[in-house]
Amino acid sequence: MFLHIIAVLIFTKGFLLTRTELPHSSHCSDLSQSPCHSSSYCWTKPVVDRLIIIVLDALRFDFVAPSSFFEQKQPWMDRLKVLHRMTLVNPSSAKIFKAIADPPTTSLQRLKGLTTGALPTFIDVGNSFGAPAIVEDNFIKQLIQNGKRVVVMGDDTWTQLFPNNFNKSYPYPSFNVKDLNTVDNGCIEHLLPSLHQQDWDVLIAHFLGMDHAGHIYGVDSTPMIEKLEQYNAVLEKVIEEIQNQSGPGKLHENSLLLVMGDHGQTLNGDHGGGSPEEVETSIFAMSFKNLPTLPSEFVSSSCEPSKNICISSIHQLDFAVTVSSLLGVPFPFGSIGRVNPELYALAVGTWKLDDNKTWNNQDELKLEEWLQNYVNVICINSWQVKRYVDVYSASSVIGFSSEDLFHISDLYAKAKENQLNLSFDKNESSNTSLPVLKRQIVAYFEFLSYVAELARSKWTEFDLKLMVTGIGIMLFSIYCHILAIRKLNKSYVVSLPLSRDSGISFGLMLASFTVLMRASSLLSNSYILKEGKVANFLLATTCIVTLRFSFMMNKLLLEAIIFLLLIFICRIAIEIGLYKQAATSQFMSASSSWVLGISLSESMWIYIVEIVSILALIILGYFLYNAISSYCRGIAKCAMMGTILSYLLIALYWISESNILDLPHFLKGMGKTYIPRTIYSIGLGQILLMTFVPLFSKEEASSYKGSLYVKMISILSTCSSTIIILQGKQGAFVALGFLLAGYCMMKLQGIEQHSVGGAAKITILDPLPILQWSLLAVCLFFATGHWCAFDGLRYGAAFIGFDEFVLVPQAILLTIDTFGFSHIFSVFGLPLFVQMEHNSLLSINLFWIFMVYGLITATTATATIVCVAIQRRHLMVWGLFAPKFVFDVVGLILTDLLIFVASIYYF
Amino acid sequence: MKEDLEKSTPSKISSFQVFLIHVCCGLALAVGFWVAHNVYSINLISHPTSTLRLIWAIEFPVVILLFSCFRQKPEKCSYLKAIARGLLGLPVGALLNALGALALGAPAGLQYFERTVSWSLLMSSLTFVPTACVYGSCWTDWHRIFACTKPKGSLDFMLCLPAHGAVIGAWFGAWPMPLDWERPWQDWPICVSYGAMAGYVAGMVGSLGLALMHTGGGKQLKAE
Repeated sequence: MFLHIIAVLIFTKGFLLTRTELPHSSHCSDLSQSPCHSSSYCWTKPVVDRLIIIVLDALRFDFVAPSSFFEQKQPWMDRLKVLHRMTLVNPSSAKIFKAIADPPTTSLQRLKGLTTGALPTFIDVGNSFGAPAIVEDNFIKQLIQNGKRVVVMGDDTWTQLFPNNFNKSYPYPSFNVKDLNTVDNGCIEHLLPSLHQQDWDVLIAHFLGMDHAGHIYGVDSTPMIEKLEQYNAVLEKVIEEIQNQSGPGKLHENSLLLVMGDHGQTLNGDHGGGSPEEVETSIFAMSFKNLPTLPSEFVSSSCEPSKNICISSIHQLDFAVTVSSLLGVPFPFGSIGRVNPELYALAVGTWKLDDNKTWNNQDELKLEEWLQNYVNVICINSWQVKRYVDVYSASSVIGFSSEDLFHISDLYAKAKENQLNLSFDKNESSNTSLPVLKRQIVAYFEFLSYVAELARSKWTEFDLKLMVTGIGIMLFSIYCHILAIRKLNKSYVVSLPLSRDSGISFGLMLASFTVLMRASSLLSNSYILKEGKVANFLLATTCIVTLRFSFMMNKLLLEAIIFLLLIFICRIAIEIGLYKQAATSQFMSASSSWVLGISLSESMWIYIVEIVSILALIILGYFLYNAISSYCRGIAKCAMMGTILSYLLIALYWISESNILDLPHFLKGMGKTYIPRTIYSIGLGQILLMTFVPLFSKEEASSYKGSLYVKMISILSTCSSTIIILQGKQGAFVALGFLLAGYCMMKLQGIEQHSVGGAAKITILDPLPILQWSLLAVCLFFATGHWCAFDGLRYGAAFIGFDEFVLVPQAILLTIDTFGFSHIFSVFGLPLFVQMEHNSLLSINLFWIFMVYGLITATTATATIVCVAIQRRHLMVWGLFAPKFVFDVVGLILTDLLIFVASIYYF
Repeated sequence: MKEDLEKSTPSKISSFQVFLIHVCCGLALAVGFWVAHNVYSINLISHPTSTLRLIWAIEFPVVILLFSCFRQKPEKCSYLKAIARGLLGLPVGALLNALGALALGAPAGLQYFERTVSWSLLMSSLTFVPTACVYGSCWTDWHRIFACTKPKGSLDFMLCLPAHGAVIGAWFGAWPMPLDWERPWQDWPICVSYGAMAGYVAGMVGSLGLALMHTGGGKQLKAE
């Protein structure tokens, strides 16, 4: 167990790319600390008054760029003709950029990256508990803080990321992939009228249709081309509209239009990974003034001489700072991008040059003025990045290495020195400063690109050594585990009066085959996505095998069939769970293989569901009562009475929550908070009782097995009340199903040996029922509506009985809710499979069972780890594998802990 | 030993007959595919329901007619009765197969209903019908073949191996289904049917081999 924890820790350190999100944000007043030439403006001189950002989701680079850039002309190229025309007509005021994104290239991550200017992280250690809202400092937040008015329309991801930040928003749901038009039509409807209005400074319109068309039909398809043509028409209208109003004194005198993609897509329409097709997207920028060209040193264009269209490239990291500098708001605190000179130049300059070499005097002055301005901006930019790096490495656990830090400060110091020189120079003679300015810019560029490079390598490289060590230790621990089980097996066999050949039984073979099957299925993302179904498939398979055995023996048919039926029900529950997941997950299309014809909102159904769930609870209570009257005495009885009491309370709580009875409001409020709390405290009291009482009173063990069962039932009942109330209405059903399934399995487990051995008394240890038990646990995890993703956590459960947010109890409740049935219940329920009556053998048997259960969990977790390591470059690493890894690892550690606790408790 | 053999397999069956039956069954499958392809120009991927129905419609009579020839106790049970047994066994087997598939996670929606029905009919005619024709409702024989897997003689092998092959093949055929390749053949029940048929053919080959070995062994015994 300790080996597990160590291995997991080491692997995690190597694998997870963590970057702590800092809650700081930039303010206008911060600038006084910087060495840069300060001005009367906030951070930079605002040069653009209004900004229109049109985001076209999944905009491939070759959608925008002219087809002459590519070897072959494809049908989807050259569809956005208006952009080409604009760049041809006005090469200095309109420009196409190739924008390079950082993987993961999913919309949510990209929007985050675009607005914060930082690299994506997997675990954002932020303050937010549920909503995906961005807590880091970002461009939108800066806009709001500095009094800019923002309007957003289209994809509702924006409103999720930045709740309550927008002056106006027209969100449309984004998860229905089959719907190509709702979002786009909504955008178009609001976009054109908004252009005439005065009540905004920044307008964001996010079109989704292209992404959806790609997902469904692929890039080379008619819907995609139709979409592109539709966008072409829209853009044409927008540009015309703005041009009409761009005269002096008019609405759009100082406007900048950005048409950009958030990521690309492959030809199949997929995105998420790091292939060039997915990473390369495009930004088209256009301002409605005549603008200068840049000194050629800073231009990274690849030009097409014949057509006179130049295309430059830009990193998406740079977007946030560049736009902030254009609008004159402080740069986001955590940004590590640099102000892109070309994009900046598009909007800033006021003069025009025909050729770099034939500057006349006035132009030179202007150029110098421009450069001076730019140096100032980039100086602020460098200072902000330096500050971020300093604060980050001071506050973060896993920071940069000291060498890198030293190098950074070295570079920065050099650049700063220049800056100081520069300010002296400027006072003396302004004519000679042009080359100095250029040198200065180069120095800053060096610094900024070094930081970006470093950050990229730190935050996206895996530490292979640590990962391999982790896997090695994990494998070693499994080896130890197997050895220990072997040893136990041997001692068990030796201590049997009738020692018989303990060859590899069919059950063992089947069990190991199933475990291997499950382990290898984790290698593929689709199997992880449908893990519940896979587990259920395997469970049903083992169940059918047992059914065959029971046919063979002609007995216990009923139990086997009930078990199979239970699995069938479980399967439906899993499918409902998956359906829920599909609604929120970005990886699954929201199509369900079967749809209930009943809308659950009908009140009849609600009543029925409520009544049935309460009935299930009553049945559970009845079982418990029976158990009490037949077995228990003393303390255990007290404990169980407590459970029954809390069942009653749960029923009361449900009734008060629903509207079956019209309770007065006051009573309802009481019920909402106090009943759950009472239940928690009863549960806690029971656990305390059970831990301490055995220390004082040594009860004589008349039959060891009987007392074990009593212990088990009491602990299960203790846990159950809390878990059931957390799980909500389905909890009662699941608990009932769990009970039945356990009973069936217990009855069934002996069958095989009876049939093979013939001698009914001798039982060889059989891992099959334990495997079934663990598979059932996995199934229940999915059937109760959980899945291995962070949005799969049921945050609602954490607030049962609490109104306000308190971290520790909420976290505990959430853990209980998530792992309640699948881990807590199943580990404590394991003694069901103890078969021996004899005292010493029984403890061996029990221990063996725990060990095997632990081994199964450890094997799956190891398989997950290995698969994650193998697939670390897979495009869904962050979406699927990593959450799965986290869940498995937490589950493994929890199982180990619980096994530890349970063995203390039972022995 | 010889007497034992005679007793346990009252209706003797030569390896040639086994070969003939298997070839016929295999041919029926092939003809089914051929007809679907060339006459109706449909295939399993484009029209799963109708193709499955077609294959089933061709396979089923062949199976029922062939296996009814080898019915147990031919003196008590006429040929027609054996056919009737087979016909009766078909829906029962289909029901069992369908239930098993549903428990294993086959889609349960109404839009899949037709496909599930045709698939389970095909499965039934591969697995259930032959045994029904041969043994009728004799519980002990069923029990021997399917629960204990202790077949005696080549007739039992002929029933048991292809049936198990079909089921196991279908089981393995289900594995590619959840993969996200988004190929049309990943739909229920196409790859499962392919797996089942492949398993069936493999089972037939196996049983043929066993029958050859068996008769060879029997001849050797006779020679001794």
